[in-house]
Amino acid sequence: MNQEPPETTTPGQERNPTMVSVKDVSKTYAGAGATEALRNVSIEVREGEFLVILGPSGAGKSTLMRCINRLVEPTSGSIIVDGREVTSRRRELRAVRRQVGMVFQQFNLVKRLSVLMNVLSGRLAYHTLWRSLIYSFNKEDKRIAIECLARVNMEHKTFQRADTLSGGEQQRVAIARALAQQPKVILADEPVASLDPKIARQVLTYLKQIAGELGITVLCNLHQVEYAREYAERVVGLSRGAVVFDGPSGKLTDDILQQIYYRDSEAGDDDDV
Amino acid sequence: MTMTFERDVAATLQMEAAHRQRRFAKGLGWGGLTVAVLWFTADQIGMNPLALIKGADHMWDFLTRMFPPDLSYIFFLGRATVETVQIAVWGTLLAVVFSIPLSLLAARNTTPLVMLPWFTETWQRLSLHLLVFHLTRLLLNMLRGINELIFALIFVSAVGLGPFAGVLAIALHATGMLAKFCGEEIEGVDQGQIEAVQATGASKMQVILFAVIPQVIPAFISYSIFRFDVSIRSATVLGLVGAGGLGFSLIKTMKLFRYYETATCILVIFLLVAGADWICSKWRAKVI
Repeated sequence: MNQEPPETTTPGQERNPTMVSVKDVSKTYAGAGATEALRNVSIEVREGEFLVILGPSGAGKSTLMRCINRLVEPTSGSIIVDGREVTSRRRELRAVRRQVGMVFQQFNLVKRLSVLMNVLSGRLAYHTLWRSLIYSFNKEDKRIAIECLARVNMEHKTFQRADTLSGGEQQRVAIARALAQQPKVILADEPVASLDPKIARQVLTYLKQIAGELGITVLCNLHQVEYAREYAERVVGLSRGAVVFDGPSGKLTDDILQQIYYRDSEAGDDDDV
Repeated sequence: MTMTFERDVAATLQMEAAHRQRRFAKGLGWGGLTVAVLWFTADQIGMNPLALIKGADHMWDFLTRMFPPDLSYIFFLGRATVETVQIAVWGTLLAVVFSIPLSLLAARNTTPLVMLPWFTETWQRLSLHLLVFHLTRLLLNMLRGINELIFALIFVSAVGLGPFAGVLAIALHATGMLAKFCGEEIEGVDQGQIEAVQATGASKMQVILFAVIPQVIPAFISYSIFRFDVSIRSATVLGLVGAGGLGFSLIKTMKLFRYYETATCILVIFLLVAGADWICSKWRAKVI
């Protein structure tokens, strides 16, 4: 059941305190043909855990992640990160967001800024507006940024413009940006969906190392089963907005996968397979 | 099977023919109406080709008075030419400075939202949230809608005859254009980059600085250069109402019936505009 990496600093994941707690969260997108993206989802994630959220496209994985840092406002339920309730009140929300780094499928680097500037933007929440107005950061920020770049082996591209990098390189810089926040949690929303298998494994390895070595809780959305089996300690299976599986990746049987990927509604196969 | 297949094809073909006929009839109707309206309009505003033909010898008279241009007058135009460029430079520069904050207010995604707790109805929220946006757009439309010559007339009476009135006139009109274009550019930025910076915990202003501005800078510079080109053209006529530059020499020589010199003014204006056009297109190509 436990396939812990040997370098984990805290022995026995069970004893680690809870870092992210999602309680009964539902989200319905308003508008024509209102869609229920999440239905009463509850998950507890411990400190330093590497959790994979597995599910087909449209299962609600992205929505769940975006609810955690309030890029999406949940319809009901509560989310607690590091003992703090996530609210939409701006000042408190910024404090929570600082603790939660995010990595996107499309990388979302600011293309016209340098690699260093992109990573430094991870430090913005530590600063007042006056300093940002002149695009200036102090020496300590720069040291942190370059350290984060070195962690994903990208320090040799520090001064290049972000749009000159390849996809895999951009994703590594995006990870460095999330790390520069010195977060407690990293949310990775389909981080390898636009990358080829070799680069994808490299990126997942970095994310897993981050959880193991830095003790950062990593939540990673994936739709590919093989990556989940290869990298996850624990898997949460999401299907049509509901949790249908929560357990170690070893217990992902064909039966369960069938439930996650092919759980058709009464209406029949209205989704892509 | 094949029978139904062929019947379906034939039915669709027939429908296509009906569609075509209906479209043709519709086109004929609208076309006829347009021609009628245009004919009526031309009559109303006295468009008469005969008048042009009858007036040809007057025009010829005017042209011959201008030829050959008195090229020695060029030496008297040096100062006015430089002044024209100076008006365009300062007018555009002021417009660039004004339009940076105004374009942020004139974009739906960066404008400050007005939150009043006692407005709960959806329509109230929609109209009031964007109050600043709508007011800014209104202001910009006013600035853009009023011609530079009219602004120049107003400023000449305020700050007196001379190039400063021209600078202010161009600055106001150009602000209306630049801020509107850039506001629309801001509304079109990539949302993903904004979300990424938001997710770091950055404040709204920091998101604008680090995710919005880098995305719109190339377009902003390109619009500014284009606007400088337009400003040069405007600055050549502002002198007609006494706001400095080559236009003043133009109107002065005409009023003194020195048409040989007027021709020289027109020549210099043409060269200046062509030169500005050429330089600006090179410059923009370099930026983009």
